[in-house]
Amino acid sequence: MNVKKKFKGLSDKAVAWLFIGPSVFLLLAINIYPLIYAIRMSFTNFYANKIGREPQFVGLKNYIKVLNKEAIWEKMQVTANFMFWTLLIQAVIGLGLALLLNRKFKGNELLTTLIVLPMMLSPAVVGVFWTYLYNPQVGLFNYVVNFFYDFGSFDMIGSSELAPWSIVIVDTWMWTPFTMLICLAGLRSVPNYLYEAAEVDRASKWQQFIYITLPSVLPFLLLALLFRGIENFKMFDMVVELTSGGPGSATELASINLKREAFEKWKTGYSSAFAVILFVTIFGFGNVYVKVMNKIKER
Amino acid sequence: MDTSRSYLEPSSFSKKLAATIIIVYTVITLIPISWMVMTSFKNVNSAISYPPEVLFEPSLEGYVNLFTNRSRQSQEYLDSLPAPETWYEELVRSREMVITGPSKFLGRYSNSMIIGFGSTFASVFLGALAAYAFSRFRVPLKDDLLFFILSTRMFPPIAVAVPIFIMYRKLGLGDTHLGMIILYTVVNLSLAVWLLKGFMDEIPKEYEEAAMIDGYSRLQAFFKVVLPQAMTGIAATAIFCMIFSWNEYAFAVLLTQFNAQTAPPFIPTIIGEGGLDWPAIGAGTTLFLLPVMIFTIILRKHLLRGITFGAVRK
Repeated sequence: MNVKKKFKGLSDKAVAWLFIGPSVFLLLAINIYPLIYAIRMSFTNFYANKIGREPQFVGLKNYIKVLNKEAIWEKMQVTANFMFWTLLIQAVIGLGLALLLNRKFKGNELLTTLIVLPMMLSPAVVGVFWTYLYNPQVGLFNYVVNFFYDFGSFDMIGSSELAPWSIVIVDTWMWTPFTMLICLAGLRSVPNYLYEAAEVDRASKWQQFIYITLPSVLPFLLLALLFRGIENFKMFDMVVELTSGGPGSATELASINLKREAFEKWKTGYSSAFAVILFVTIFGFGNVYVKVMNKIKER
Repeated sequence: MDTSRSYLEPSSFSKKLAATIIIVYTVITLIPISWMVMTSFKNVNSAISYPPEVLFEPSLEGYVNLFTNRSRQSQEYLDSLPAPETWYEELVRSREMVITGPSKFLGRYSNSMIIGFGSTFASVFLGALAAYAFSRFRVPLKDDLLFFILSTRMFPPIAVAVPIFIMYRKLGLGDTHLGMIILYTVVNLSLAVWLLKGFMDEIPKEYEEAAMIDGYSRLQAFFKVVLPQAMTGIAATAIFCMIFSWNEYAFAVLLTQFNAQTAPPFIPTIIGEGGLDWPAIGAGTTLFLLPVMIFTIILRKHLLRGITFGAVRK
């Protein structure tokens, strides 16, 4: 039997390229090409709204401008605060919920589904309806808070001290279920015999938690935080609709500022440099984080 | 054999305690969503009463306002009109207004549908092809290619929005359905390839090899044997892609204005007289979120598996 003529039709190699080709082409055209385009523009003084004017090469000028601008560092600080608090709170609550759900009580699956609902919703639309809940005159949130402790009138979105917390609360409400689900997957992957062996060795429940449960969940928790970290670094939609970066620039995250420079002031060259810096930051941090995560996993 | 597990089971007290805490959390987490649905059935005045009304007389004013444009008229003018023919006209008249035409909501909603379904179909189809190839064939630089596909997901949308904006303007794809379908397809493609590769890996190679020995070509075997086997995975992946396209905001708000604008950038712009029309926004939100919630509850098993599976693989 001739091996080459074993099956009819196209050869495997042809099929492989036929199958992968379209995806790679689309990713190159819509993802990589624009990225290279953006990098090229970041070295010019291009304004996308001024058609016909030839952009000129300006070297590293845009990058120097971005890095020397104090306002940019303020936005980075706002972004860092937002990331720190959302990740911390979501890690604690998410892990806690996962541990509770892992007790496999009745109705556990339905409750998991209901808890997950917020993360399926459109962040922009969520932002809009939370402006209603936060309304200082008629908002449900303010009413409930005052019901438990009378703070008097307060404005979550309008005050520059409270506004950063308003976005942390909404993000936590939306995305804690994500951390929870991933931790739950981690908990369910711990083999039972570990606990059995621990019982035989008369380890207390607390010791079992510290030496078995926690180390097994940790890699999953770190993974969930990586995803949330990347997403929140890019955060745009929910915050734009909730506070639109205000009051002043109290909640103006890096990507909201980027949108203003690129699509309102049309400083294409400058904003491209900013975008490249953001992209390099996220990639750099992401890579370091993954390396650390793998070290922890190996231990 | 299972007797050894008995002491590993949590005690019934700790189970009850855990269940209580979880139920409390679930109730709290559902309050904002239920509040929005309730608001959609209030009238404008009861939506802005304080303390917030939990019990109220249900009204369809929000839904009527969502679907219509209205203008305020004098009492004399309203009296001069013939009696209203429909219940919604009557409702609008009772607010001293007349309906001037349908609002843009239906158009935005159907844009969301067209772009959502179009891009979901395309990314799942292309994703399934690529996933199969990665799963079965020796592809040169396979790991690099897979990482490349994944890394495209890290781009902040705004970073590539300007070049895409310029590119689309040149190609005539700006503010068109086709342009948005292509864009969302590509954004979803990386997730689709990764999720589907996992599902394809689980299908035994022997299935299609048997089919090929029976005289099927590789392509026939893929479409007639492998695809039906991968249906669960395809469904789970499709839901993820659909939810992403349905909810996407950044590209939609930057790249579309009239023709191809979807619902998420439109809902915030619903305004009534003297401020936001909360019942109408509530109605728009409810109608927009409802499909996703129903999908989530019906398909929870696939969905939950998909989230953890996809994440844990990466």
